[in-house]
Order: sequence, then C-alpha cells, then structure tokens
Amino acid sequence: MTKERKQALWGLVLVTPSFLLLLVVVVIPIVQSFIESLRNEAGGYDLSRYEWLFTDKGMRNNIWFTLKITVISCALVLLIGYALALYLRFSPGKLAGWIRRTYMIPMFIPGVIATYGLMNLLGNHGWLSRLLLPFGVTLPRIIFDEKGLIIANLWFNIPFTTMLLSSAIAGIPGSVIESARDVGAGKLGIFFRIILPLSYKTFLVALTFVFMGVIGSFTAPFLIGQNSPQMLGVAMEQVFGVFQEREQAAAIAVFTFLLCSVLGFFYIRSMAKEEAARM
Amino acid sequence: MSIQLSIKDLSKRYRTGEGVSDINLDVAKGELVTLLGPSGCGKTTVLRSIGGFLEPDSGDIQIEGRSVVKLPPEKRPTTMVFQSYNLWPHMSVYENLAFGLKIRKKSKAEIREAVAGALRLVRLPGAEKKLPGQLSGGQQQRVALARSLLLQPAVLLLDEPFSALDAKLRHEMREELREIQAQTGLTMVFVTHDQEEALALSDRIVVMNNGRVEQIGEPQRIYDDPASLYVARFIGKMNFLDGTAQGEFIRVGRGEFPNPKGLAGPVIAAVRPEDVRIGAADDRALSGRIKQSMVLGHYAEVSIETETGGTVRSFLPKDAVRELDIGQNVGISFAKTIAYPHTNESTGG
Repeated sequence: MTKERKQALWGLVLVTPSFLLLLVVVVIPIVQSFIESLRNEAGGYDLSRYEWLFTDKGMRNNIWFTLKITVISCALVLLIGYALALYLRFSPGKLAGWIRRTYMIPMFIPGVIATYGLMNLLGNHGWLSRLLLPFGVTLPRIIFDEKGLIIANLWFNIPFTTMLLSSAIAGIPGSVIESARDVGAGKLGIFFRIILPLSYKTFLVALTFVFMGVIGSFTAPFLIGQNSPQMLGVAMEQVFGVFQEREQAAAIAVFTFLLCSVLGFFYIRSMAKEEAARM
Repeated sequence: MSIQLSIKDLSKRYRTGEGVSDINLDVAKGELVTLLGPSGCGKTTVLRSIGGFLEPDSGDIQIEGRSVVKLPPEKRPTTMVFQSYNLWPHMSVYENLAFGLKIRKKSKAEIREAVAGALRLVRLPGAEKKLPGQLSGGQQQRVALARSLLLQPAVLLLDEPFSALDAKLRHEMREELREIQAQTGLTMVFVTHDQEEALALSDRIVVMNNGRVEQIGEPQRIYDDPASLYVARFIGKMNFLDGTAQGEFIRVGRGEFPNPKGLAGPVIAAVRPEDVRIGAADDRALSGRIKQSMVLGHYAEVSIETETGGTVRSFLPKDAVRELDIGQNVGISFAKTIAYPHTNESTGG
C-alpha cells in the first residue's frame, strides 16, 4: 500500500465515528421524520400534513408568531450583544470590568430555573410588580405574553452572542480604527464601515445560533408562553403528545428544520464566497 | 513664512512616569520637521498629541492659528501615516483612499480623480482594485501615504512610516517622500529614531531625550554643533576625550585645542572622525599609536590609541592609509573640537 493510500485510509478511519454519530443522531431521524410527515390519515403518502400547516388558522398563526418572536429576538440580541461587545472593547471604566466579569452568568443557570426566576420576577404577582405597587405603577402583562418570551430569549442568548462578538471585535486592531478616525470617520462610520465588515463572519455565526436557538426553543415558551398563538416547539409537542398525531408533528419538525436551513444556506454561501476570494 | 503648526508648553505624563514636558515648537508652512530620538523619548507622544490620539495634560496645539487641542482626531485638519500602515483589509485600495473623501461628501467624479492622482503621486497607478493583502509592505505604505495625502491635510504626520521596510526600500521611500513634499508643499512632522533618515529628510530636526527637547535646528547645524553631549552622542559618529579646560585652551594629553565656550575644569572634548588629522609625532601634539585601519569602500577608518589611554577614530581618504603602519607613533590634531562640561554621566562614549 502506498503512503498516500495509507494516509487516506487513516483519515477515513478518523472521520468515521463522527460521521456515524451524525448519521444516527441527525441524518436518519430527519429522513424518518420526513417520510413520516408525508403519510396521510388513510395510510398513503401525500403533502396533506403540510397543507394543514398552512391552511389551519391556528397553525398559521403559530408560524407567524414564531417568526415574529424569532426576528424580534434576533434583532434585539444582536443589537444588545454588539453594544455590549463594543462597550467592553472600548471602555476602560469600572462598569465595563463588572460587565466583563458577570455577563456570562446566565449561561450557567439551567433554562428551567431561569424561566421560573423570570416568572417570579416579572409575573402578575412577581416581586417587581410588588415593588412598584407602592408607587402606583402597574406592570403590563409580561409573563404568558410575547414580551416575556422575548425577555427570556434575551436572557438565554445575549451572553453567548456577546462572547462571540467580543472576541471578533477584540481581533480588530485598534490601529485600524485609529486610522479611520484619522481620515475623519465618526462613531457610526467606524461601526458600519470598519467594525461591522470586519466582524461580519462572526455576526453571521451569532445570528445563526440565535435564530436556531429561538426558533426551536421549548422550555421558556412552554412555561411562560401564552396558549395561543404558540411557538412552533410548543405546538409540535402538543400535536405529538396531546393530540398523538405523530405525522403532523413530523411535518412541523421538517418545516422548522427548513426554516433553519434558510439561514444555514446564507451562512454556508458567505463562507464559500470568502473561501473563493482567498483562493 | 507663516506658522502652520505651533506647539506651546505641551506636557503629557503617563502613569509609568514617562511622557513629555514643556515642548515648544513652531513649524512653518511647507516645512518638514523631524522629531528624532530613541524609543521612549516622547517623540511619538508629541506626534499623537498633534493628531488628537492623546490628550495632553497641559499646553496648546495650534494649526493655522486655531487651537485644536480639544478636538478629536476626526475633527482635526491633520492626517497620519502609521508605522504599521493601518490600511483597512476588507477594502480595496480604491475604497481605502475614497473613504475619507466620501466622509467629506465629495462627488464620485472628484473622488475618482483624486484617487487616481494620489496613486500616481506615490507611483502606484492602476492599483485601485487590489486588496491590501495583495500588496507588498512598501506598496501598502505607499497606499497609506496616498490615503493621507489626498485629504490635503494642514499638517501631515508620519509615525516612523518606513521602519518596517527593508533598508533599500526605506532609502527609496525617503527620496520619494522628499519629492512628494517638494511637489505638494505640504507641512510634515516626521517621527523617527533613525538619525540618518532625519538628516536626509528634514528641513529641521528636533532632537528629543527623556521627554524634553535637547536641540532644534537644521540638520547640518545639529551635526556640526550639537548643543549637548547627548546630541553629540546621538547624531553621527563622534570621538570623546577627557580633557581639562584652562583659560583659552582645552588640554588633552599634550595637545591643546581652543576653548571658545570659556569652560573651566574637567571637560569632554568631542571630535568628529572626519576632523581628526594624523601627522608626524610631535612633542607639542597629542600623540598616539595606530591600532587598526580598515578600508571601507571610498574611505578608511583608522583607530588610534592615544597617550591618555582612549581610542580615537579617524576617517581618511582610502589612499592616505597606505602611508600608515599598525603600531606606528603619530601626532593627532583636530580640525574642530566641541567641548562639554564633565558630568558624572558623561564618561565613556
């Protein structure tokens, strides 16, 4: 056996375990779900389960609601994440030091506990509303409302996003920003023309993570979401567990997966473009 | 000639204790002034204060008669060429150059023309579409120079712009900068630790040491008449000899040299190697013994051990060393000496 063949074989051996894992945990379930989602009530195969997704009023509302919460959450998380990352990078103050030491804490608190914490804090009889009551301030409904869901998404996603963006922004040399100021660029100009393009790749990674995390979220929507409309994750669980309609749940799962793939496509395309530019 | 840049009593101290104190400097319109000194002497602090990247503790900086000391860099009529080029890696050469002009709301046609003109000036015509990563170090620095030039700053600041380039390229860029300055008539403040660069480029040199100005003057003046022992050591090659000043003369061994400054007591006599003359041994002259001679191309460097125990180096025409033998006793005279009072830190050199 030649050296090259040996090396190729060895590479194949090394890659096999992760490939098998991916196959068993991801690929086969997706294929199975897809096949299952095509089975109609009569036992045949058609697209009726998907038709229901878009014709049933409740389900259509769920899809729109999920997309709305996801888009708003992504926008807010990235906005706040960038703001924090920029503040941490350019502010030498004590406050920045404290933020740097504490902003990752939410990542170490389990989702269920954090969600119950939010209920206790922001619920109708939560302690924030009790604190504000003496001042005559009544809080609007936050828990069991989309506001609560968005707040929970911020809690879960800001730390990781900030961490990603911080490391990207830390990688931009101060001298590059100095030269932009030197030719007359203000803060906004520097952000949009220098910082954003130079951290664009990480921005896309962060967006992908937040988008997938929110669109597929279950714990918070299940515990503090309203009854209707619901996030797709909760709707899927209901169709699967309460209504016992495995095929319909599979169709929701495949649809959610397709929504995520859209972002995945953009991410892969931008990576491929960069690779091509480097060649 | 009108004053373009005026620095008054500028002071800036860092927490480490380093910094600059009481810097005063006027730069005329169209002048190229170099801040020269070793690293840590404060030259970059002065430059960055002019550019607005550092806020001085006290003092004022005026450009075209207007105080700019409170303005941020983006509002100052200065541009800077940085040591590490600082081009924006995601932008093409054209975009790098156009960025500042776009901020100034210039029309597309104006920008295109200005970019092409600036690239011609730095001898990089047609490089518009390239990315900085596709250019060599020298080309990147040319682009950085063009980026600063086309904004037509009131004062162009250059922070050791050629120090990352190899010696040959550095030499070329130096000449090009001089040409560009002649063509554009821009006022420039140039920071370097390379005395040769400073001597070659500058209209005037500001020699700095420990955060203070040691001497300001034209290159030839600084070379011929260093104001302090520090400047004498820093600029060019120099021999230092211990001597004693008495009345009109400074005695070094058996030799006597004029004492124009009227110093008294122990002094250090400084003599440029090209001012050392070698003759026949003489009872009334400083004597020495030839230790070594090296022909270095068009001239020769001769080392002579003096009767006082020191070593004097002399630059001679290469033919003159043929008449000298190693170990030969000679008389040494100096065409010109400069003397400095002897202080504790002034021995050696």
